[in-house]
Amino acid sequence: MWLTSKIKQVLLVLKPGKVTLNYPAESRPVPEGFRGQPAWDHTKCIGCGGCANHCPARTILTRDICPEIRILFYDGARCTYCGRCADVCPEKAIVMSPDFELATGDRNDITQSLELFMLTCQRCGRCYDLEIKNAIDKLDLRGYRYDSLEARTVIRRSTDRFAPDVLGATEAFRRPDRIGG
Amino acid sequence: MLAKLARKAFPKSLWLYHCNSGACNGCDIEILNVLTPYYDVERFGIKLVGSPRHADVMLLSGAVTRPTFPLVKRALEAIPAPKLVFGVGSCALGGGCWFDTYNVSGGGATAVPIDYYIPGCPPRPEAIVYGVALALGLVDKKAAPVELKQVEFPIDAQLRTKAWEERNVIYKLLRD
Amino acid sequence: MRALIYVSPLINAAVFLLLAPLFEGVLRKLAAKIQSRQGPPLIQPYRDLLKLLGKQNLNSAGTWPFKLAPLGAFAAVLVVVVLIPFGGRLGVFAGRLDVIVVVYLLTLGGVAVLMGALASRNTFALIGASREMVTMIMVEPVLAVTLILGAVKLRSLGLAAAMPGAAGAKFTLSTGLMLAVYLLALQAFVARQPFDIAEAEVELLEGPFIEYSGPNYALFKYAMMLKQMFYAWLFVSVFLPWIRTGIYPADIVLQLAAMLVVFLLIGLVGSTNPRLRIDQAVRYYAVLIVLSLAAVALAVKGW
Repeated sequence: MWLTSKIKQVLLVLKPGKVTLNYPAESRPVPEGFRGQPAWDHTKCIGCGGCANHCPARTILTRDICPEIRILFYDGARCTYCGRCADVCPEKAIVMSPDFELATGDRNDITQSLELFMLTCQRCGRCYDLEIKNAIDKLDLRGYRYDSLEARTVIRRSTDRFAPDVLGATEAFRRPDRIGG
Repeated sequence: MLAKLARKAFPKSLWLYHCNSGACNGCDIEILNVLTPYYDVERFGIKLVGSPRHADVMLLSGAVTRPTFPLVKRALEAIPAPKLVFGVGSCALGGGCWFDTYNVSGGGATAVPIDYYIPGCPPRPEAIVYGVALALGLVDKKAAPVELKQVEFPIDAQLRTKAWEERNVIYKLLRD
Repeated sequence: MRALIYVSPLINAAVFLLLAPLFEGVLRKLAAKIQSRQGPPLIQPYRDLLKLLGKQNLNSAGTWPFKLAPLGAFAAVLVVVVLIPFGGRLGVFAGRLDVIVVVYLLTLGGVAVLMGALASRNTFALIGASREMVTMIMVEPVLAVTLILGAVKLRSLGLAAAMPGAAGAKFTLSTGLMLAVYLLALQAFVARQPFDIAEAEVELLEGPFIEYSGPNYALFKYAMMLKQMFYAWLFVSVFLPWIRTGIYPADIVLQLAAMLVVFLLIGLVGSTNPRLRIDQAVRYYAVLIVLSLAAVALAVKGW
């Protein structure tokens, strides 16, 4: 009784045969809607910084190295592949590509950086409504931004006009020594 | 001679010790998935062992939290040389979403030196198998830094593509 | 040939040492096939052992029993392998040692594992050691009775009791009963599911061997592999006496083939059964011990 049920178990188990996918040799196509690493299209990006504002892991950094050039840096280390940047982008410049084979020995291999031209207002340097003075709207970080690319950190300071001294101060920024050094 | 044989046998028989340093268990589940029949990583000779003293590779998952910070270091010391550390998931890479919160020390690299990173949240089992195959030398690395520069203003690019379209695409006008 | 009795223990040792990892590989591949996956190549345990020999030997407990235990276990099982009449040919020790020594040496191997586990200063090892002790206590009577059955039939405790059929004893009712008992007890001898309680992988993090690394662990694993092969050989030799041709090399090959079939059975039962708790296992074994004592009683009566 027990023996026949065990024999039936063995026959049942041997029926599927071998189901192992021959993975590194052959790869299957990814499912539709799969969110792999985000990929930027630099011809469509307008440099609004919306992706940087909405990234939950603060992985996308923006830095204005001069009034006309903004560097958008995607440091893929903390990316959670949530797709918020692609959802928010007004120009649909970000696409969640089907890349998932990202293993590497060096953290700098999964970065992407964009160097973008920004148009400047002829009068004030950047199109920005100087009438907004309340703190909440100031939190929106419009204007010039100076995230530190070396320390891969978002620095929540923004100025209305391009300030090279603030840029210099943030170049040497180091994250504070917290747990464990 | 025995040392040479042992060195040759090392990449063909890696034993993994899985260390969860405060992860949400997403990466842990994907690591267990890798041992299931579909992605079977045991065909490379890799086994999951329970004790760090038997292991060669430490699979670190999770952003290293304050209580687990010294424990991860001790677990690494308990692994006999030669050893490797793989950081699995975006929490082990840089702390994930929680890299600057009060209890997290910012990723695996602050506690132990990591040899290979496997990004993902959580990484697909195929991505983990790819990372392991990369460490064993079976495949080539696919990730590389990308630098994109705009060489013309976006408005000029748009005008250029519109002009090309008007020259080359035949617009059918529906009258009537 | 008189010289053969001096050479056959060495042949025993060579064959067992070379082929033990291959049989373990067969077990792992069979487990993989039952789980519908590809599984490691057959020579994987060779690579495992070589890799373990190349690792740093962390002496985490620092005491001499810790260092000595793997050597003790490996040496005990190796001596048993050298003594047994593999291929139906008794070695040079046959006139001088008997089956009690075999049982003693196997127990010594188990005690060496216990010594190593208790010297590890680790709680998991302690629990593993206590379960291993219980397993040893319950397994030993069945092993002893298997050998004593042959001794009762041949009226001597010599090493030929390990191959009673070849030495002239008949296959009677008691042998048949003991065959069934041995098959039911085989899984605990080789420490596989449902009886791998001591080395419960997920529950106890490898039990008694938790603190061993590198070459020490390789010796323990090798000792376990040799023990597996020994128990499979014991089944073939005691209960399948018609598998012999009289020619020494052919006998060796035939016995190895029969051992392979026994290993397939071990693998099949091992992969399709869950692990028992220690008290359930003891209850199961109590029945087997009573049956084996009944088999000895029948043998003494002459049946």
